[in-house]
Amino acid sequence: MSETMRRKSPGFQDSAAGERTGRVPLRVARPIAMRGVGIEKSYRKRNVEVPVLKGVDLEIALGEFTAIVGQSGSGKSTLLHLLGTLDAPDAGEIWYDQQRIDDLPARQRDHLRNREFGLIFQFYHLLPELTVLENVLVSQMVQHGVWAYLRRRKENVARASELLERVGLSHRLKHRPNQLSGGEMQRTAIARALMSRPRVLLADEPTGNLDRENGTRVLETLLDLCREEQLTVVMVTHDEQIAKSADAVVRLVDGRIA
Amino acid sequence: MYKLLLSWRYLRTRFIALASIVSVTLGVATLIVVNSVMAGFISEMKNRLHGILSDIEMAAPGLGEIEWPDAHVEQVEAALGDEVLATTKIVRVPALLNFQFNGRQFTQQIMLWGIDEETFGKVSDFLPYLTNRNKQTALSFQLEEAGYDAKLGECGWSYRREKAEILRQIEALTRQRELTRAATDPFRPNSAAETTSGQNTASPSAATAQAEPQATGGVAFPALPTEIPDVEAVNTERAATADVSPAPGPISAFDPHAHLRPQVRAEDLFNPARDQYTGIILGLAISNRKLVDEDSGATSDVFLLRPGDDVQIALPTGGSRPMPIAENCTVVDFYSSNMHEYDSSFAFMPLKKLQQLRGMIDPLTGEGNVSAIQIRLKPEADLVAAKQKLEQRFPSALSPFMIQTWQDIQRPILSAVDLEVTILNILLFLIIAVAGFGILATFYMIVVEKTKDIGILKSLGAPSAGVMSIFLGYGISLGAVGAGAGILLGLAFVWKINEIADVIQWITGREVFDPAVYFFSEIPTIVDPLTVVWVAAGSIGIAVLASVLPALRAARMHPVEALRYE
Repeated sequence: MSETMRRKSPGFQDSAAGERTGRVPLRVARPIAMRGVGIEKSYRKRNVEVPVLKGVDLEIALGEFTAIVGQSGSGKSTLLHLLGTLDAPDAGEIWYDQQRIDDLPARQRDHLRNREFGLIFQFYHLLPELTVLENVLVSQMVQHGVWAYLRRRKENVARASELLERVGLSHRLKHRPNQLSGGEMQRTAIARALMSRPRVLLADEPTGNLDRENGTRVLETLLDLCREEQLTVVMVTHDEQIAKSADAVVRLVDGRIA
Repeated sequence: MYKLLLSWRYLRTRFIALASIVSVTLGVATLIVVNSVMAGFISEMKNRLHGILSDIEMAAPGLGEIEWPDAHVEQVEAALGDEVLATTKIVRVPALLNFQFNGRQFTQQIMLWGIDEETFGKVSDFLPYLTNRNKQTALSFQLEEAGYDAKLGECGWSYRREKAEILRQIEALTRQRELTRAATDPFRPNSAAETTSGQNTASPSAATAQAEPQATGGVAFPALPTEIPDVEAVNTERAATADVSPAPGPISAFDPHAHLRPQVRAEDLFNPARDQYTGIILGLAISNRKLVDEDSGATSDVFLLRPGDDVQIALPTGGSRPMPIAENCTVVDFYSSNMHEYDSSFAFMPLKKLQQLRGMIDPLTGEGNVSAIQIRLKPEADLVAAKQKLEQRFPSALSPFMIQTWQDIQRPILSAVDLEVTILNILLFLIIAVAGFGILATFYMIVVEKTKDIGILKSLGAPSAGVMSIFLGYGISLGAVGAGAGILLGLAFVWKINEIADVIQWITGREVFDPAVYFFSEIPTIVDPLTVVWVAAGSIGIAVLASVLPALRAARMHPVEALRYE
């Protein structure tokens, strides 16, 4: 990792030792995986500035299942996008693994998204031209050049197959996304997010578009990942029931943490 | 890897891309076909232009003459050294050609060339363009018995003999009719004595014609012999008459000057069935007319003249005060270079004869003046350098000759053709550019359609450059596939162009390349591999350029906005 990524945030290595700037209730003293400080973000709509986040401070502990809850328009998804470096805040800082990541060059942010974060969306966002297996392999294709990818293809395919088997889709490897059900597509998206062995899984309402049964299954998968593999999961949801099963809850009301 | 995969999948699944591929394919195919046909035409035309012009010509301007041509040829050979392959001397003069066809008088201007049978064929590609097989190997101005192109129909000596016989019969019949009319003319004094002394050796038809007036109390008259008069027999008779001492007889039969009259021998008399005038070779288009059948659209050849026919030419004499002279000539062959300019105006006759006619031969030395000296260089010789050497040897201040290469002489037409090719290529490349805009529009649509995919890829960490290269790769693939298909289509079209022209003619009922205009039996084509490569590279380049803007748009897309795009 480059020197710029190694800049340290003084007194921010441990949530118990550090000064608590957010109002996230932390029950155990776990190391902090991500931290947001005074995050502000607004969108411009027809020359009108619409503030979405109005100074959000939060901490996400390593290996915990954190739920970001709030009503529609409260800024949950925006916050998740900022944490996942898909967007940059207007003000404030975002830290990951003791490095500030919101002002990194685009190339390094791409690198983070590819290796460190796994992103899951409400509408699955699978590539329709690729099969289920290829969709899972895309992050590896992005990570490596042609020859490097082809050299590791066997082991990558083996891992992708293993992940798809884990989410119960081993019989769907050659199918296209349009041949899958919503739950299957979301499980494919989870397998894709896990392919590059990320340390943080960022899920934007992954159950929002699913029926209760499929939603529960997806949620259980995410919880299992968090519990068994110590994966840090940040999940945006408006479902209070889901929030109850989370280790920590960040409640957003009108762009602020309630 | 994802770039290649997605480019390939987009190419396979987006059928709108087919429209772009087809437009590139058609553009490339059109360029290849047009360039090949143009190259074929130009090559054919240059060969023909070059054909009769040798490499370098040193000519006296206008109707001027080069005196002591042999000395000039020596100087030319000295100046150019080993580069000279052959030289020849020619006389070139405008003349009028006059002939009859079906009773109609045809007169047209021609350029009459006096050429040397020995050397002219070595300097220019003249012999291959003659229609008679025998003359293609050894040039002569004698009418041939055989060897003429079958399409000319009956020609040569057999045709000439037959024609002479028909003319003789026509003349005989005409005379017969005239005599009949004279004999039955009530105003003409009747002489019974004349009729009785007539030698009636006429054919049965003549006898019948004679019998009628006799039956009606008319007069008998001499019939014409059926064959050419046996002049020899007449001579012998005359000689015998002259040798013997005058026999007693009627005074009127005595010819005291008979022994003074010239002895005319049969072979000395011009007999068109046996003799020819000075041989002349005419451009085929002077004689040939194409007739198009309005119903079927088929063309047929009509020849106003054939080898064996006689023509008259009128031309100016040489020297400072040209006078018109006329001469009979016999067409001995045709010259068919398929260059209409040449074929419709050139006529060739022996150099010596033309020099004699025009009074160009020096009575003291016997050497004839010429209009120009033509020089054929060795294939490896540099045309322009050789021309410069000659210009140094014959400076314009001292010797007012026009020294020109064949390209100089045909400069206007060569420049025009070059310009035509350039403009045509620009126009056709504009067609591919239009296809390029088609690709641009298609790509924009595809980028818009794929906005969400772009967001997904970016969320997975794909860099902007990578996203851009998906669409650039897509553009290259479209261009390459289109160009590849275009090359195949173009080459196939060129390969079967004559069959395709026949099909188009069958469908439209119009000749695609009218042989009456172009004198091509087949459409000439030359495929230049370099042109094909350039066309392919150009079209791929245009496809890539057209995909740059949409690709840039894709690369600049904000991932969150792209993901939210509906």
